[in-house]
Amino acid sequence: MGKTALLDFEAQSYFGEARGTAPTYRYGIYGIALWSEIPLPLPQPPDGALTEIHLRTASADWFSRVLRGVETQETRSSWYRFARLGDRASYVRWEGIGEFLVSADGKGIVCRQFSDAGSESFQVYLLGQAISFALVKQGFEPLHATTVVVEGEAVAFLGNDGFGKSSLAACFLAAGHRILTDDLLILRDMPAGILAYPGVARIKLFPHMARRFLREATTGVPMNPFSRKMILPLSREHACATPVPLRAIYALGSPRQVFREKGIRIEPLSPREAFFEVVKNTFNRRVVDGERLERQFIETGRLVDTALFRKLTYPRVLDSLPAVREAILSDLGRDFEQERVAV
Amino acid sequence: MSVSFSERVTVAPDVLFRLVGDEAVLLNLKSELYLGLDPVGTRMWTVLNEASSVQAAYDVLLQEYDVEPNRLRQDLDELLGQLLEQGLIEVGPAEVSGGEQRLT
Repeated sequence: MGKTALLDFEAQSYFGEARGTAPTYRYGIYGIALWSEIPLPLPQPPDGALTEIHLRTASADWFSRVLRGVETQETRSSWYRFARLGDRASYVRWEGIGEFLVSADGKGIVCRQFSDAGSESFQVYLLGQAISFALVKQGFEPLHATTVVVEGEAVAFLGNDGFGKSSLAACFLAAGHRILTDDLLILRDMPAGILAYPGVARIKLFPHMARRFLREATTGVPMNPFSRKMILPLSREHACATPVPLRAIYALGSPRQVFREKGIRIEPLSPREAFFEVVKNTFNRRVVDGERLERQFIETGRLVDTALFRKLTYPRVLDSLPAVREAILSDLGRDFEQERVAV
Repeated sequence: MSVSFSERVTVAPDVLFRLVGDEAVLLNLKSELYLGLDPVGTRMWTVLNEASSVQAAYDVLLQEYDVEPNRLRQDLDELLGQLLEQGLIEVGPAEVSGGEQRLT
């Protein structure tokens, strides 16, 4: 029965099995063009988009049929499930949010928002985790990074969930800088240098962080049923919508490794250390076929050869964040040329 | 598990290697495990892969580094053990033609 379901699935077009309406919206995100059947809070697609992704919706019955006989893996928390189908499509699902099927070539995403999910929460997972599968399948290497724009250049903060990337970025917002992307960063090596691409104009913060660093009214919605983190939309004043050159990447030290008395430290990373920070902070750890791993290995090596990396450790004390921001700005003001690694 | 100095080591299939500055990173595509080498480890890796035997590699390294012979032997043993455990090298008979032979 499982084999029949897979063969049927392989013979079908994603687009033919959806609601039957053609995508009517065109958007731009991470430098790509997104053709969407549903409205999203995104700008127009960029000229010369890096690639395109088509987004459709489908019913619960459609997903049930497609997944017949497919065994899903679940995490310890069991609210996230994942499966790889026989034709190399990827299925992901978050309880209380929605489910997504990403085509093997990464060009198509079919999605379903669960009835108990808010649109904002659904879009966070659609435009983050789900789209990361499409990006990886198309040869991109998204990083788990929050990025701000300082004097027209991107400064990225690498780190796992809970490392304080967004809180640090909010502190930069409070000083008049803008957010380029919160959580997922796409970098491309261009002739003029590495470009960093804009994400969704929003930031995810705990309420007390939002009250401290965002001057305007902080009305947001919960990110998911299990977190107090809020999704906060950002205005054009606070979000950069165009790609900018990359200035530096700061890998955040784990909060557990920092003791209050050690203060703020910014240290150079050796190329080997930088390489592993990038690999550790990939946005998508589920697509691990040989082709992807080999590409990631090569791309990471190139990034380490050309980008500037720093290790940033600091006490996770709210009142210290402005000092951390000033330390980063001071560090950025230094001449990094002598530290570039010779290839 | 240890490697005899009378044997030769070669890069295992499905292993990627890249120099990053004066260090290196390796990836075993089958096991999905990474290994990082500091500058000395990187040099050891390079010499091991070029030499006709582990003994020949040891001799080259002993000339390059100001180190006690036993210490170098221990360090080389340790590195080889780690490389073997992670499936990054294969072990075979030493080259008998004499002189160093580069891997293609």
